[in-house]
Amino acid sequence: MAPAQDAQSAPEEPVVEETLVEEVSIDGMCGVY
Amino acid sequence: MADAGAGPASAGPAFDPELPYRCSPSVALRPEPFGALVYHFGTRKLSFLKTPELVTVVSGLENHPDVHAAIEAAGVEEAQRPAYLKALAGLAANGTILARETQ
Repeated sequence: MAPAQDAQSAPEEPVVEETLVEEVSIDGMCGVY
Repeated sequence: MADAGAGPASAGPAFDPELPYRCSPSVALRPEPFGALVYHFGTRKLSFLKTPELVTVVSGLENHPDVHAAIEAAGVEEAQRPAYLKALAGLAANGTILARETQ
């Protein structure tokens, strides 16, 4: 049985918020840069 | 991401887009097809700037009296500006960009 879809309070908004910045730490990696 | 506030990178003042900013001298920015890679020699953090417009904003900060002017000069659409301000706030928090003295 499929769960009933909750149709209340679902304003239109982007499903995926585009990330403009991604950050990674390279601390501990050797030979990078 | 539960702990916002601890750590040396967050010791600076809060991000204020009304102020002039610049890229940190501890940062190297390398243009890439997707935008740019940013490496911070102090924190050893690598950041990916994922749009060319954001790269233009970040690299052009020092030529503008405040962050809003840099965003406008880069041609960022009005609707996208909150996302850019949020991204820049993150870059300020990790030390990639710094508030500079008003000239």
